[in-house]
Amino acid sequence: MTATFNKRLAIVWLVLSAMTMAYVWLDRSADDDGVLKASTVVTVSAIVIALVKVRIIFREFMEVRHAPVWLRRLTDGWVVLMAACLLGSYFIGSALAG
Amino acid sequence: MSTPTGSLTSRLLWNFRHNPKRELWFAWWVMVVFYQLYGVLFFFVTRVQPPASPAWDTPMVVQWFNDRHNGLLAGFGVVFLISGLCAPMNALLAYSMRRMSVSRVFGYSYLIMYSLSAIPGMLVMAIAMTVGAMRPDRDPELIHWLFDFAFLSFSGTMGVFMIGSLVWLVAILIDKNRVFPKWFGYLGLCNALTEVVVAPAWIFQRGVFAWNGAIAWWINMVVFVTYTVCFIVLLRKMIEREDFGTGPLPDLPPKAERSQPDSVGAMQ
Amino acid sequence: MTNLQEDSSTDQVERKPARFVPGQPDMWVFVLFESLLFTGYFSVYLIGRIQNRDLYLQSQADLDLRFGIFNTIALLLSSWAIARCVQASREGMYRDALRDAFLTIGFGVAFLVSKVFEWHNEIRLGNTFTSNEFFQHFFFLTSIHLLHLLIGFIVMGVAVYQLWSPARRSQRLVETCATYWHTVDFLWVLIFALLYVVR
Repeated sequence: MTATFNKRLAIVWLVLSAMTMAYVWLDRSADDDGVLKASTVVTVSAIVIALVKVRIIFREFMEVRHAPVWLRRLTDGWVVLMAACLLGSYFIGSALAG
Repeated sequence: MSTPTGSLTSRLLWNFRHNPKRELWFAWWVMVVFYQLYGVLFFFVTRVQPPASPAWDTPMVVQWFNDRHNGLLAGFGVVFLISGLCAPMNALLAYSMRRMSVSRVFGYSYLIMYSLSAIPGMLVMAIAMTVGAMRPDRDPELIHWLFDFAFLSFSGTMGVFMIGSLVWLVAILIDKNRVFPKWFGYLGLCNALTEVVVAPAWIFQRGVFAWNGAIAWWINMVVFVTYTVCFIVLLRKMIEREDFGTGPLPDLPPKAERSQPDSVGAMQ
Repeated sequence: MTNLQEDSSTDQVERKPARFVPGQPDMWVFVLFESLLFTGYFSVYLIGRIQNRDLYLQSQADLDLRFGIFNTIALLLSSWAIARCVQASREGMYRDALRDAFLTIGFGVAFLVSKVFEWHNEIRLGNTFTSNEFFQHFFFLTSIHLLHLLIGFIVMGVAVYQLWSPARRSQRLVETCATYWHTVDFLWVLIFALLYVVR
């Protein structure tokens, strides 16, 4: 049983690290020869990737996978709530700034 | 001897004379009344909260004092009268620590810290503001000075409250008598951390870390109010559960059995 | 440090594939509340950023993405280690669990050292807490996160203390400590994305 769990955890870590490395690509694509440029696509992607990582950490590392349904729903709800706040701040802020 | 049934007055009178928990309930009610008064006085009468901006120039500050002249004097006058209400409140909290299985050092430290913290945390602001409001024709620079002194003292001295929170939360986490649920200990950690967040108010005159900033005041207030509401409710539960023993505090029986109020008989 | 009677019954439940709450439910209250608090700080940052795009973009150029990547990988490794530790301790393999717990702390220290180094670099470039709005947020978020990490070391101390002697070894407490540590990790995941990558 331990061996299966260990393999699963290792795969989770690999996936999370790969997603982290994706940021390097995202970061490079956002810049214009070293000059940073504002970009909605980059911002939204960065936030979404981060939240997917957070959900994976909840489910796999924090063992919410094995938790009762109320905790599973609560943590999923929390990820959605954070997405709403972060993306909301970004878009509403942009709309207000004009 | 059991509690009487009968009219509200006769029951109240009986409790006042015989209930072994009367001092605890008195302290709890003092706490509830104090916080209500505090809210009303600071937010609506004196209107010093939400805080004004440290970025204002002197004429704006003088205007702020003029707009609030009567409110400041009347409101803080009442604050000076009721500040003694803090004592039973702090005593109840220290009592909760005595009921725990932890050393009495916790309760005593908390009591000392919180007794002293009322001075910069509330009274200095009250004094500075009433001095500022008392003579509207005073030199504007002096009024601005009193303004800064009041707000910095109020917001900037959170360190004492933070240490007090830490003392209480450590006591809760290592307590074996289950006086408070562990989640409240962890919430205390959140509260203590937000008190660290106020520290930059000493440096910034504008922005989110100024004494009126989104982070240093608004978000902090949300955490503080949540924390305060929680401990008021939990202290009530503690008093209801209190058995005056030294072991783990018993849980309340389920609602159906709880129709009788506390009886003296149960204490023996 | 905890009620041993409740723990023996939880241990029995955990050996079957039944549903269980990892660690004390109380710690989950903290995790969720703290995430909301940080989300508040992040929202303030994002709104500030939009109102001052050029300033933020220009200041952000002074950050080195490599530090951010290194820090994220270090904490992901530490989370992996504590997750393995919880599994090992559940199986009764306490020597492995202790080794994993020390690895967790080790990766945490790597994060700490790298963070101090990064701050030193930024300060040498002339960027401090009071330089401009972006750096206010940068130093604030990284400092308050670091404070959580330092508390995490104390929490890991509790975990190691539990795992050390057969007289203790409360699975519930070890899981509670792990839950806290993972929070430090996922908060950093969000901070990294917001400070280093978001444009």
